[in-house]
Amino acid sequence: MAAAAAATAAAAASIRERQTVALKRMLNFNVPHIKNSTGEPVWKVLIYDRFGQDIISPLLSVKELRDMGITLHLLLHSDRDPIPDVPAVYFVMPTEENIDRMCQDLRNQLYESYYLNFISAISRSKLEDIANAALAASAVTQVAKVFDQYLNFITLEDDMFVLCNQNKELVSYRAINRPDITDTEMETVMDTIVDSLFCFFVTLGAVPIIRCSRGTAAEMVAVKLDKKLRENLRDARNSLFTGDTLGAGQFSFQRPLLVLVDRNIDLATPLHHTWTYQALVHDVLDFHLNRVNLEESSGVENSPAGARPKRKNKKSYDLTPVDKFWQKHKGSPFPEVAESVQQELESYRAQEDEVKRLKSIMGLEGEDEGAISMLSDNTAKLTSAVSSLPELLEKKRLIDLHTNVATAVLEHIKARKLDVYFEYEEKIMSKTTLDKSLLDIISDPDGTPEDKMRLFLIYYISTQQAPSEADLEQYKKALTDAGCNLNPLQYIKQWKAFTKMASAPASYGSTTTKPMGLLSRVMNTGSQFVMEGVKNLVLKQQNLPVTRILDNLMEMKSNPETDDYRYFDPKMLRGNDSSVPRNKNPFQEAIVFVVGGGNYIEYQNLVDYIKGKQGKHILYGCSELFNATQFIKQLSQLGQK
Amino acid sequence: MAVDITLLFRASVKTVKTRNKALGVAVGGGVDGSRDELFRRSPRPKGDFSSRAREVISHIGKLRDFLLEHRKDYINAYSHTMSEYGRMTDTERDQIDQDAQIFMRTCSEAIQQLRTEAHKEIHSQQVKEHRTAVLDFIEDYLKRVCKLYSEQRAIRVKRVVDKKRLSKLEPEPNTKTRESTSSEKVSQSPSKDSEENPATEERPEKILAETQPELGTWGDGKGEDELSPEEIQMFEQENQRLIGEMNSLFDEVRQIEGRVVEISRLQEIFTEKVLQQEAEIDSIHQLVVGATENIKEGNEDIREVPHL
Repeated sequence: MAAAAAATAAAAASIRERQTVALKRMLNFNVPHIKNSTGEPVWKVLIYDRFGQDIISPLLSVKELRDMGITLHLLLHSDRDPIPDVPAVYFVMPTEENIDRMCQDLRNQLYESYYLNFISAISRSKLEDIANAALAASAVTQVAKVFDQYLNFITLEDDMFVLCNQNKELVSYRAINRPDITDTEMETVMDTIVDSLFCFFVTLGAVPIIRCSRGTAAEMVAVKLDKKLRENLRDARNSLFTGDTLGAGQFSFQRPLLVLVDRNIDLATPLHHTWTYQALVHDVLDFHLNRVNLEESSGVENSPAGARPKRKNKKSYDLTPVDKFWQKHKGSPFPEVAESVQQELESYRAQEDEVKRLKSIMGLEGEDEGAISMLSDNTAKLTSAVSSLPELLEKKRLIDLHTNVATAVLEHIKARKLDVYFEYEEKIMSKTTLDKSLLDIISDPDGTPEDKMRLFLIYYISTQQAPSEADLEQYKKALTDAGCNLNPLQYIKQWKAFTKMASAPASYGSTTTKPMGLLSRVMNTGSQFVMEGVKNLVLKQQNLPVTRILDNLMEMKSNPETDDYRYFDPKMLRGNDSSVPRNKNPFQEAIVFVVGGGNYIEYQNLVDYIKGKQGKHILYGCSELFNATQFIKQLSQLGQK
Repeated sequence: MAVDITLLFRASVKTVKTRNKALGVAVGGGVDGSRDELFRRSPRPKGDFSSRAREVISHIGKLRDFLLEHRKDYINAYSHTMSEYGRMTDTERDQIDQDAQIFMRTCSEAIQQLRTEAHKEIHSQQVKEHRTAVLDFIEDYLKRVCKLYSEQRAIRVKRVVDKKRLSKLEPEPNTKTRESTSSEKVSQSPSKDSEENPATEERPEKILAETQPELGTWGDGKGEDELSPEEIQMFEQENQRLIGEMNSLFDEVRQIEGRVVEISRLQEIFTEKVLQQEAEIDSIHQLVVGATENIKEGNEDIREVPHL
């Protein structure tokens, strides 16, 4: 009982682990992977398409691939030379082009044996195509195993996943909300989303209870997902949710709650300026699939006339679960991050000095008799220092990484005055009085057009009453003067007219500006992070609309907002979608999925919300991940039509 | 969870075969296709490289099996208390050590050879990369197996050192009798006893207690006439002094031993690091030489330009 309880508590929720384990098993020729320190090496080649690449890269580093015995990893649609006597593991989507290329590989006899793994289920006819090609190439026995992996989603964090990266446009906010979308196109989009969600639940090993709002794209997804899960459960022979796939009795007592929300319930959050580390990195820098790309200008000296222009160094860093600093601070407000980097740097320097000191002590050897007795201690110290060197080096690498990233973020903050925008937006969203009029800020020559547009849109979205025509004209003029494109505004106007959400987002709480004490300490320690002129803002816990909805549904609270949400239970015999939930108990596990796109701000808000609740877990997922820049672009495209 | 559709695939193959037969389509070998398959499969030309790589791996595997098989006996310190089967003399252990070392050397030479030959005839970048990676794996395997060997050897050395330490300890209580009698035999048996029993600090005292009655009998046996009480006292004092000296010497030796072991470990680490750096320094050297040449050429080019 204790073991089962521990299993339930511990990591039923870590989707990252589950997906990694599934990948490793696939790489081990579809046999569970056991570490054996004196095992013979087996080598293999990994072939993937772009979808496979996006799934694998946040989870397994190149070194880990090597440890699994992979000598080469190649894209499917690249030139590949025949490598005899090597088994090849394929991890691809079952699309026409991929199948064609695989058949070509079979005909060209590239490898010794083939282990085919399809990211989502392959259709019978395509399977026959491969069979045909295998026969033609007399290679049927070489096809050793064929598997449907059901891994068609990308896990970015222990509790966060995204549907796809490659074909984002297909399922983007714009694709779902454009006015000229046809029914068939909508069907395709919904099918793609449902396929990924289905794969997600197969990997998680649980059948959820689904709740969604009415009349939105989320409802369409819910209906289809319910149908698909139901069909699969009824098919006793091929059900993917039978006992042995569930594993260790997790979810046997409680099923998770899936809350499907549509992006349209809250358009302010994706535009919001942010103040936590991970969200800032995503907003301000080039950050995809846990990799951040920085451009550094090399050198500050003026180059003499006539010389070649300075080249900018590009650096990219992976922010992984192994990076302890990142794990600890990715949700912290930025000033805290800056301080912590300083602290880490200091402690690293102290350790470095310790090692250097030992070096000088060793110099005493042979000179002083009395020193020899001191040495016995120091020999041991030296040994421990030497063996701790790799750890120190790793620490240094992380500190360098975060110093660079945080400096880049800070530069953006200072240049664009992001702290000012953040504070102002918080005030707007929480309906506290504004000390500077919106018009003043927009007319202010400082600040990029995009930031001003974001600010104005948030204002427009959050006001109860639309501003009068005259005011609106004033704003529009100011915005155009500042260089903004007004197309997003067009769309938001339409959205506001259509949206049924009469109630504006409820209280956000207030943000306070902490007294300068903290800030001055950072400055006095000679920090690289000179945050002068940057306000030291502290976030107060506030619930964004998505978090609120989740809270209501998870805790079975009654609330006019969520009371008429639909209810689906794929395990029940009759298709019952009454709004009356059969289950009266609060849920322990929940998955929030935003149809139409999500971002790190919402994710962080959910993480903060659940931290306070013991023993509860939340997973956050969205059909695509965008930052404000990308979202504005989509809004502007929508507004153009 | 992943779903195994291999059987489904095979069924599809059958379907396609029958369909093609029905349509009369010639597929590759046509009707002979199945026979060709059987023939094609077995004498598939195994590349030279990979067959030799597999040979090396099987050799290393043999070494590993050999080491694991004899590991228990090798480590067993109390072999002379066990039956004939379990016993392993030191000479046998030395033999194992030597054989293992020769084996490891030949294996690493074979790997080196493979490395140089691997890149000779091949032009494809991918195949080169693949082969380098394969050789890295084999080397890693060899290292892991060598670790097995070095671990058990370290245990053996440690045991020997411990044993020597203990055997120095035991005869002390018997040095008293040595003055008066030639008691080599006596010292032999307690030391043998100590080897048999697990080494603990309390043992010497027990043996002391045991030998006391022995002493008594010996002393009595030899006759009290030979030693007067003063002489006995003098001898006892001298014994005490000698014991004190031996103890302090022994402590110092133990310290030095400990330090030497640590120093040797450190040296191992340093050697490893230096060897690693060797490769890097070589490449840096190359780069620097190249850079110097480039600069020289650059200077010459600049000199050629007519001054403005």
